[in-house]
Amino acid sequence: MLAIFLVYTALAGGTPQVKPSQLKGHTREVTLVGKVTGPVRGDARGSGLRFQLRDVKGSASGVLVTYKGSVPEMFRTGRDVSLRGRLRGATFVGIPGTLVTKCPSKYTPAKKS
Amino acid sequence: MPELGRAALIVCLGAALYAVAAGAYAAWTGRRRLQESAQNAILAAFLGAAVASVVLLTALLRKDFSFTYVWQHTSRELPTAYTFSSFWGGQEGSLLLWLLILTGFSSVAVLLGRRSARSLLPWTVPILGGVTVFFAFMLVVVSTPFATQVAPGDGQGLNPSLQNPYMLVHPPMLYLGFVGLTIPFAFAMGALAARRSDELWIVVTRRWTLVAWTFLGFGQLLGAHWAYVEVGWGGYFAWDPVENAALMPWLAATAFLHSVMIQEKRGMLKIWNVLLVVGAFALALFGTFLTRSGILSSIHSFTESSIGPWFLGFIAVVVAGSTALIVSRLPLLRAKTRLESPVSREATFLYNNLLLVAFCLTILWGVAYPILTDALRGEPVTVGPPYYNFFLKAFGLPLLVLMGIGPLIAWRRASVRGLGRVFAWPLAIAVATGLVLVVLGAGSSIPGLVGYTFCAFVLASIGLEFARGTRARRAISGDSWASAFAQLVGRNRRRYGGYVVHAAIVLLAIGVIGSSAYDTTKEQRLRAGESMAIGDYTLTYRGATTERAANATELRALVDVERGGESLGTMQPGKNSYPAEQQVSNEAAIRSDRLNGEDLFLIAEQIGPRSVFLKVLVKPLVNLIWIAGFVFLAGSLIALWPDAREQRRLAVRYGGREAIARA
Repeated sequence: MLAIFLVYTALAGGTPQVKPSQLKGHTREVTLVGKVTGPVRGDARGSGLRFQLRDVKGSASGVLVTYKGSVPEMFRTGRDVSLRGRLRGATFVGIPGTLVTKCPSKYTPAKKS
Repeated sequence: MPELGRAALIVCLGAALYAVAAGAYAAWTGRRRLQESAQNAILAAFLGAAVASVVLLTALLRKDFSFTYVWQHTSRELPTAYTFSSFWGGQEGSLLLWLLILTGFSSVAVLLGRRSARSLLPWTVPILGGVTVFFAFMLVVVSTPFATQVAPGDGQGLNPSLQNPYMLVHPPMLYLGFVGLTIPFAFAMGALAARRSDELWIVVTRRWTLVAWTFLGFGQLLGAHWAYVEVGWGGYFAWDPVENAALMPWLAATAFLHSVMIQEKRGMLKIWNVLLVVGAFALALFGTFLTRSGILSSIHSFTESSIGPWFLGFIAVVVAGSTALIVSRLPLLRAKTRLESPVSREATFLYNNLLLVAFCLTILWGVAYPILTDALRGEPVTVGPPYYNFFLKAFGLPLLVLMGIGPLIAWRRASVRGLGRVFAWPLAIAVATGLVLVVLGAGSSIPGLVGYTFCAFVLASIGLEFARGTRARRAISGDSWASAFAQLVGRNRRRYGGYVVHAAIVLLAIGVIGSSAYDTTKEQRLRAGESMAIGDYTLTYRGATTERAANATELRALVDVERGGESLGTMQPGKNSYPAEQQVSNEAAIRSDRLNGEDLFLIAEQIGPRSVFLKVLVKPLVNLIWIAGFVFLAGSLIALWPDAREQRRLAVRYGGREAIARA
């Protein structure tokens, strides 16, 4: 009984995690994971931040993302990030406060560039 | 030097292999001398691990960059304290710490066991040896800390986010907790292998479980405090996979600590207890695996590494082996007594266990869900905080109530009249508290109100227990209240230490409920001179300052804080930028109110001389969470403190059998 309950909740409450190249066809809310490319424009606290996100691995073309809300310190071009949101037409609209950067791992040395 | 380290690890591996092979053969054939030799091999394995650790530590402190590990995790300018902590800042070093603690604990358990549990040691030793073999093998073959290279001029430095005092204590504490769970596991399996059906293994490992559980619990609270103060997003726990990885074995160990009391007192739940101890140990391994496999993404974010499959394999061996052993010994584990009534202290313990385990499985399910869906559908689906928070309420609130009922309800069978008499006061106090809270406006959150009413119920019942006990003792001895109280606690350390831990959990619950169900958040752009109001605070932006520190530029927003017309000073949230590491860190400002435990939490973004974007959180009672940590520690210490009277009682109970076993 517990198992059924758990499956049910997870199905109803879970968000699929997709790469920018898999985004097409998803109408539900998803978590988008990718690498920030191209210039970052706009103001997260004003009209919204606009940037391109593409697959972390591979060379598939990216998707345009708009996002308002708090932006992590580590956010910049070249970072791997994830955010929740929904595809509207050709633009992925983020949910405020869900933008997270994946920081360099605890078990790898910090890369100096 | 690296050769010495490598050799020491090989010695450790060899000794552990010997402890497994010779130990198992000696236990099988009953050869006393060989058994002792296997025990000594455990001590030798510790020496090997200790020498290897000293070699690595020396290399780190000397900044010997010909060690690849030292080069990867330190740099010339890294302060000594963080050079020390870089021992466990990387994968190889943290595995070595695991091995060091494991062999150290095993040695102490063997030495103590020679006095108190000689008959259990024969089969326990090969099991301890088996776990050691795995970690020593990993360090010798798969992931060695003693790889060398031509020494470069400078090291790569420690990840700045790890250069933090919390990182000196938080990881080793969790390791002490994770590794400590090995000892009860090994003794339980050792007892089963020796076909023993009594409770000696529980008695012998009670303190080990308590110590491991205390480290694990306190270590997690430290991590939560670090997240709250240093990461500065305004929270302290985020159901991140790595946080869950530490929480799960703690929950299983909590269940185990409770259920063994039923086996000790009533001879019930034997199968359940061995299952729990296997579960807690397997979850500790799973937690170590999760943080290293790169299988899940989290804030603690891991790189993919080669050791994941090895860990998974070892967990599979542990689970399969233990299950096979338990199944083969099922006839031994039949309970002598049955549950007499669903309304009794035993039953309360049982419900507590079911809830704890259910919650633990819920978390496991949530953690494993992305992995499962990825395997089945090719697309990982994650479950977020709403999922966990729902089950925290669903299982946590009943657990809270049980904490108030358990200590007062009668063993075996409780009568309705008895229940009325015992619970009249706690119930009255709970209802009164609930009503007062509604008048004060706490009705804005129903789960919060329910939680607080339950908290009052538990505190009242704990207080009542202490009051009753003290009065009874005073009636016997005629001493003062204070000395009667001290005697009461001193003579029943396990019991009253346990109540103090319960009180800590209630404080924790009050803090968590206050800061999550009754918090206020507001985001607003403020121009210089402009004010905003939140709760009864008024915040005014005064402008920005920039200061240059040794390794960072510190940008601060100056915010004047007022409450009820009275100035509370200036808070300075801001950002630090580290040019060397090319990183920016968020420096939240926190003002804690000593009187009501409330925090005013400020995060500043887009700081400029003319305006700032402020995120403000008011978190009532959040400081009780940190106070709970110290109460928790105090309670655990009381329960752990050696008790000569109890030792004598146990000697009488198990000494006879030990003497027979020795003859």
